[in-house]
Amino acid sequence: MTEGIVHMFDVVAAQGHGSVWTVLFIGFCFGAIILYSRLDKFEKMAGFMIFEDTLAPRMAMMTVALSGVGFYALVQGGFAEYQVKPTLLGGLLVGAVLFGMGLVILGKCPSAFFVSVSEGRVDALVGVIGGMVGGAVFTLTFPWINQLMGPDLGAIRLSDVLGGYELTIVLVLSLTLFVVALLIPTVDYHDPADENPKR
Amino acid sequence: MPRKIPWWAGGILMSLLFFFTFSEWGAGRPIGASTGMAYLSEVLFGLDADSHEYTALIETSGAWEGVMLIGVFFGGLFMSLFVTKTFHISFIPTLWKARKNSSVPSRMVWSFIAGFLLVFGARLAGGCNAGHILSGGSQTAVSGMIFTVVALGTGMITGRFFYKRKGSCS
Repeated sequence: MTEGIVHMFDVVAAQGHGSVWTVLFIGFCFGAIILYSRLDKFEKMAGFMIFEDTLAPRMAMMTVALSGVGFYALVQGGFAEYQVKPTLLGGLLVGAVLFGMGLVILGKCPSAFFVSVSEGRVDALVGVIGGMVGGAVFTLTFPWINQLMGPDLGAIRLSDVLGGYELTIVLVLSLTLFVVALLIPTVDYHDPADENPKR
Repeated sequence: MPRKIPWWAGGILMSLLFFFTFSEWGAGRPIGASTGMAYLSEVLFGLDADSHEYTALIETSGAWEGVMLIGVFFGGLFMSLFVTKTFHISFIPTLWKARKNSSVPSRMVWSFIAGFLLVFGARLAGGCNAGHILSGGSQTAVSGMIFTVVALGTGMITGRFFYKRKGSCS
């Protein structure tokens, strides 16, 4: 296993996507923002889907609204490239259904559960272990599952479907998300554990 | 230091991190997490690239996200220990107690099942909420939009049946 971890760092150092320290720094900030906004909490992620809290949708919409415009500007300026995931329709639909069920039951996503573990939540740790087994089972069954993932619609963006209007799409989408994020009322699930944490 | 930041500040900080990561000054790629989870599980269970097709397929992106997730853990740990001071060992979330039950074994079994579904589903879909909803949505990717609608729709339907208010059925 140690060998595998060393290999992981070597692979990152050899690819052109930032140094190992940059990647660790990005992760550190990602985890810190998730924890500081309390998005790692079950009450925020599962609470959103049972309509008891609105932090997750408001924050996600704000992020996508700003990033959408920012990414467009970065790409236009030649400082970045779009890297769009392919639309493998079968895998995407079945996977999203399983993911949605897991998300509301665990109340965390595959980065927030690490943050939750770092806050001492044992149920999140069990979720990570379940995720580890899930990842391993997927790897082992991939040769079989791979045949059921299609049809592949390619790496498409909205502008490919609508035949252009890239800037308009980005602006309309960002503005809509921004306004909706502002208009949704704040519903904050009151968690007594936050006020008087047992230490 | 305040114990938490409001949603809009979280969104602004998150998008600044996304700009940095996406641009050539940072990593020149979007943020994702579930490929990293799959990669870490391959490291843990010793499923090497020589004998497993999927390990070879996600070698570069998985390793990147695996290292990032190590950073995520320490980022969370730093904040929970020194800033929010919320670090404490806990077993069952408050809302779960209010809507489901107070049994530790029940929460653990469901956590395991949910963690499994989460990562297995994300790998099947080719990404999780970081990759599809946040990064994908920001790039106006069709895959991201489909994922967002289906995953959140399923979550809301599942939540409705899974968490019944106590006393509502008696």
